[in-house]
Amino acid sequence: MKRFPSPGIWLSVFALLFAAGPLLARKNQSAKIKVAAIQVEMIQSDEIKLPAEFQVALYENLIHQLEKQGFSHVYRDGDRNAASVADLVVLRSTVRGFKAGSEKARQVTTVSGATSITVHCQFTRPDGTSLLERDVNGKVRFFGGNLRATYDFAKKAANVAHENFSSPTGE
Amino acid sequence: MTPRRTTVYLAVGLLFFGFLGAIGNAQETSGSVKAVQLTGLKGVKDNTKGTLSVESGNLHFVHGKENSDVSATSIQDVVTGGDSRESVGKTVGIMGMAAPYGGGRVLSLFRTKIDTLTVEYRDPDGGLHGVIFTMSAGAADAIKKGLVAQGAHTSATGEPTAVPSPSSTSPNKEENQ
Repeated sequence: MKRFPSPGIWLSVFALLFAAGPLLARKNQSAKIKVAAIQVEMIQSDEIKLPAEFQVALYENLIHQLEKQGFSHVYRDGDRNAASVADLVVLRSTVRGFKAGSEKARQVTTVSGATSITVHCQFTRPDGTSLLERDVNGKVRFFGGNLRATYDFAKKAANVAHENFSSPTGE
Repeated sequence: MTPRRTTVYLAVGLLFFGFLGAIGNAQETSGSVKAVQLTGLKGVKDNTKGTLSVESGNLHFVHGKENSDVSATSIQDVVTGGDSRESVGKTVGIMGMAAPYGGGRVLSLFRTKIDTLTVEYRDPDGGLHGVIFTMSAGAADAIKKGLVAQGAHTSATGEPTAVPSPSSTSPNKEENQ
């Protein structure tokens, strides 16, 4: 005859499971780098031929998404106010891959015409010390114009920033 | 009808249509154009429709009862490009997708060519902003010329070029036209 564990043991197992979640979350939180502000530099595309509207859309969407993620101070490229900020993180983005799709092909075939863009994101201190580097891609497969790939990239890049850096007010 | 009379009618007709075309071009170069602000203009929602013009040294965008200005001298790069969009409206396009046997996809084949106008400018603090407008094909060049005449810089060859800031150089601009 099988012996089932007593209710007390079951209770302690559940209590451990419930306690582990917040504890792990707190551990992740403590691993975040505290930053006072983030400065976004203009997207570089020296090696890859990128239309100007894509470059600007990547930059603007990235700023919007970072603000949406709770970074209270997001400075733009060249903003003089950022120079006096302590604990500033600079985000440098370089386009590593770009495939210009076709909205028409996407709508007609639904299997071809995807637009994709791969950007190397480098989070550094103002002196150039690297804090985090990650390749982030943006895609548009089915619906929307080609520029929607820039929105997809910005959302993912802002998530990377949110997972690794904490802003004093926005967290 | 004699051949001579036909030639006269033809000549008059050509002159009339040529005159209409000239009026149209004149309006395009000197006046305002209908445009959609895709993103970037401060205080203006994405995909806002309005009227774009170059007035007294500013890029002037009127939307509803409000208007936004960007000083031409603060523009460090202005670039035109080409794209296309569906000829039918968004709602019709989405509803068409429900048509049986993929019939709605035929609508996607009918597309209108559009121009894009990308503007990069610095705010008083030195912060870089980028704005993207779309407008009917052929309209962006007039706006760009107007801006350059008012002191805007462009990375396109043969035009006055701004001193490139290290973070904003893009060698491939104007190649997608």
